[in-house]
Amino acid sequence: MPTIDVNYAEFENLLGIKLHYDLEHLDEILSYVKSEVKLLNKQEDTLSIEIKDTNRPDLWGIEGLARGLRSYLKLERGSRNYIAKDSIVDVNVDSGLKEIRPYICCSVVKDLKLTDTIIRGFMHLQDKLDQTYGRSRQKTSIGLYDFDLISSPLDYVAVKPSDFSFVPLGFEDEMTLSEILEKHPKGIEYGSIVEKNDRYPLLYDSKQKILSFPPIINSDDLGKVTEKTRNLLVEVTGTMYQTTVNTLNLVTLALIDQGGNAYSATVHYPMDDFYQTKKDNTPVFKSRNMRVDVEYLRKVLGVELAPEKIADLLLTAGLGVEKIGKNYVEAIVPCYRVDVMHQVDLIEDVAIAYGYNNIEPLWRDLPTTGSMRPEQSLIDITRELMVGLGYQETLNYTLTSLETIFTKMNLEKQTVVELVNPKVVTMTCLRNWLLPSLMEFLSNNQSVEFPQKIFELGTVTLLDETKETFSRDEFWLAGVTTHPSAGFTEAKSVLDSVFMNLGIDWSIKKGSHLSFIDGRTGKIIVDKSVVGFLGEINPEVLEAWKLENPAAAFEVNLHKILFSDH
Amino acid sequence: MVDFREQELTVLSIVGKLGGKVSINQLILESNLSDSAVMRAALVLKENKFIKIFAEPHTLVNLSPEGVLHAKNGLPERRLLDSVIALGGAAELEKAYKKSGLSSQFEQIALGWILRKKWSIFDSKNRLLKLSDPRKLVPFEKDEKLLGYLNGKKNVFLDSISDELQSAIDVLRKRKLLFTEDKINRVFEITTLGSETLRGSKAVVGKVTQLTPNLILTGKWRKVKLQEYNIKAPVAKTWSGKKHPYLRFLEEVRTKLVTLGFKEMTGSTVELSFFNFDALYTPQDHPAREIFGIYQLKNPKFGDISAYASTVEAVKATHENGWKTGSSGWDYNYSREEARRLVLRGHGTCLSARTLQSKKFEIPCKYFSIARCYRPEVADKTHLSEFNQVEGIVVDDKLNLRDLLGVLAKFAIEVAGADKVQFKPDYFPFTEPSVELSAFKKGYGWIEFGGSGIFRPEVTLPLGVNVPVIAWGLGIDRLFMMKSGVTDIRDIFSQSLDWLRRKEVV
Repeated sequence: MPTIDVNYAEFENLLGIKLHYDLEHLDEILSYVKSEVKLLNKQEDTLSIEIKDTNRPDLWGIEGLARGLRSYLKLERGSRNYIAKDSIVDVNVDSGLKEIRPYICCSVVKDLKLTDTIIRGFMHLQDKLDQTYGRSRQKTSIGLYDFDLISSPLDYVAVKPSDFSFVPLGFEDEMTLSEILEKHPKGIEYGSIVEKNDRYPLLYDSKQKILSFPPIINSDDLGKVTEKTRNLLVEVTGTMYQTTVNTLNLVTLALIDQGGNAYSATVHYPMDDFYQTKKDNTPVFKSRNMRVDVEYLRKVLGVELAPEKIADLLLTAGLGVEKIGKNYVEAIVPCYRVDVMHQVDLIEDVAIAYGYNNIEPLWRDLPTTGSMRPEQSLIDITRELMVGLGYQETLNYTLTSLETIFTKMNLEKQTVVELVNPKVVTMTCLRNWLLPSLMEFLSNNQSVEFPQKIFELGTVTLLDETKETFSRDEFWLAGVTTHPSAGFTEAKSVLDSVFMNLGIDWSIKKGSHLSFIDGRTGKIIVDKSVVGFLGEINPEVLEAWKLENPAAAFEVNLHKILFSDH
Repeated sequence: MVDFREQELTVLSIVGKLGGKVSINQLILESNLSDSAVMRAALVLKENKFIKIFAEPHTLVNLSPEGVLHAKNGLPERRLLDSVIALGGAAELEKAYKKSGLSSQFEQIALGWILRKKWSIFDSKNRLLKLSDPRKLVPFEKDEKLLGYLNGKKNVFLDSISDELQSAIDVLRKRKLLFTEDKINRVFEITTLGSETLRGSKAVVGKVTQLTPNLILTGKWRKVKLQEYNIKAPVAKTWSGKKHPYLRFLEEVRTKLVTLGFKEMTGSTVELSFFNFDALYTPQDHPAREIFGIYQLKNPKFGDISAYASTVEAVKATHENGWKTGSSGWDYNYSREEARRLVLRGHGTCLSARTLQSKKFEIPCKYFSIARCYRPEVADKTHLSEFNQVEGIVVDDKLNLRDLLGVLAKFAIEVAGADKVQFKPDYFPFTEPSVELSAFKKGYGWIEFGGSGIFRPEVTLPLGVNVPVIAWGLGIDRLFMMKSGVTDIRDIFSQSLDWLRRKEVV
């Protein structure tokens, strides 16, 4: 979920009303666009807003957020019209880019009066768009430049990393493109996007002055925006055309909302079948029409709304209306609503404008029968038996580490389900047995009164190549008792009681298990197959877990017992 | 005159016999009584001022694995120093390292400490390491002496270490060469009154304190006087076995949902990206699928989607261009390989997708699941990397937003016991419209209790379902925390036995 930080006064200014720092009112307003206040800092006059909708990049800046809210607040109706004047800059694209970063879209916005607050707001919007909508600059990345220092036409080319050098933003010395990837923080962060190619993207103007090395870094002289900058060149490069042009539109619109006048750019693509157009005019503020079917809307919302009412609500939601038909409304979707994919998206906007709390909830008594998963009753009965035997139930994580389930249990490491991206060293794999969880629990409770008797009936995950996920879950039961005189007979008698009550015939067979003391451990047999083990814990294991008292334990595969036909 | 019960006398005599001061473990060993019996007896003795009970804290000192290594071979800086001396009092750093035989991980440490201890000076221009004072021997310092003292020992009592060496404990602890642990030991000490009573106590036991089978069978009970108890004497705690409070809460939720006509779904912890994401219309380059959004697996990496071939094709077309759903789709090239990627399931919604895909349901139907889910987060007061989600679906041809609100209101009242409900717009990639439910309960205030929506056509149609499906999820963790007074979400998986033992059941 994107969180954006905005200047409070600037927000009121763009919204056009005073909200008097009323948090409840703010949240009520923001709920129209699925957002809420995370933090209001009166001292610094800033507001952190969390936007739940990850598919509406138009809301990720203060200008777009205000635009999205004004219609709901009845301060304006319908969608906004935006225009970009005729092209005043040309960009030539080198055919070498088609496999690297094929698309570029540009615009120029003039007559801006930038303040420090506005500039910071733009940096923030640029970052959100780069990170989320642009997939960490993989898909798209944005560059802003002082247009007055640039002369058209621009060249967007693929070059050898060592052939060009320039001073990157925030540095003082010239660096080659490969040096930037090695030394510049942005080069280190985003280098992997371009590194795989032997040529890198580069943008320079007619005087060979370098604007930027997309998607890594701008040049220090052209790519620096200050309060003195009046006219901006906006450039977006990317791997998917639609996302690239959408991103350019969103940035350009925000600049227009700040009082700028937009001009187009003409992009000339090479003569290559890869490109569908050879000449592209950007930005593209064209809206789309989408039909809302009155009957379909009634089916989705369960509310009867006349076409006129639907049109009215669409306008409240900041959408346009082209035509009101007898059983449909032709809506206009402005270019910045890139989230709209299906008429159901418009229908939700109609419902929000109507007000969810104005819709009467309906509980239909559908003729269905409820039931628990088949194993649940056995699980609950077994838990009850363990509780009756004086054992405290515990709940433990299934994420654990190889050290916990093998090393500290005196076992050789085996392969289990393991994570690529663990967050902490104690959670790197899924447990394949329960007893280590219980040992860990005990080791955290050595200062608590003895005897300690605990159990868990939980899930273990085992590798299984016959399954579509190459693994399977089973529910097992493990119990452990520890106190100065804990021993084998105690554990055996407890397990015997559980099995007797479950009506399960069982026997025990000699066997060795390195977590247990040799000669004081055995395999549990039900229906001639091994379903678990029982014994006194090996002092090696007690020591590894820093347990001071002897312990005896059992672990049983209940899943196997339940699902085998004994 | 003092009357004892046998166990009390036993305990008091052992305390007396063992020199007047005894730990609980010694007592259990000597008396052959259970620890609860010992405690019970001790508490009565204490009540009568015959003994005092102390909770004696003590600190144990242990070497870390690295500490054990250095205790055996000497501290890295000492080994480096020795090698400089052996090389004539000055040497190139790399040569000194080599001579010292230090493994590379300790080289920097050795250099850092040899300079910090001012044993040597480093001429960084020529990378020369020289003795600070070649004429003087460098005696063992306190940290080395302490290390030597601890060599080969385990669980050393802090008090048993001399004051001089104790002052080096902090240094070694900061270097992570040793660690200390605070423990508590219960110790019983006999009082003057206790010792005097013990001396004359033999005569006292004439009176019967315990009604025995023998007394009953022989009828002797008629002739003896059964001693009166001090019924106000404190007794030792008896800890009953109990279910885990959170799991008991889940049982209640499960029962409620079954009563409301929901069937339980189950699935596996390891899930195909296809069901966790693709079938739920999450595009394959969505940030939620990256390593900071979902747990990916090193082993096993990919699963098998061949059983779902036709569904995969429909989902693929829907992602790419909307297929026949009326949607524009996400406009990118869908990869079947990515669909096979295995993850730890990030939400319970994948179970709903599987149920819909299976077609093994009748219309109308209602399903729920209680699923352990996983996200790569570092646990804190409000986040867990492993948690439970209660989710489900309602399927019927007449369902609409009003039903959705109705289902949510029902949950709020039946499961959360809410007095009022409120709905807000919400966002999920797989539902439209989407609704957030807030429930108001007296004494608790408003809580966000659930999220839900109607599955997008891009979700249902490729799965072969052409009736509306309501998908819902309940924020039960927050409800549990409120009901049980837990303020830190990590306490749901509490590792405190004491808390579990004392937690009331109501």
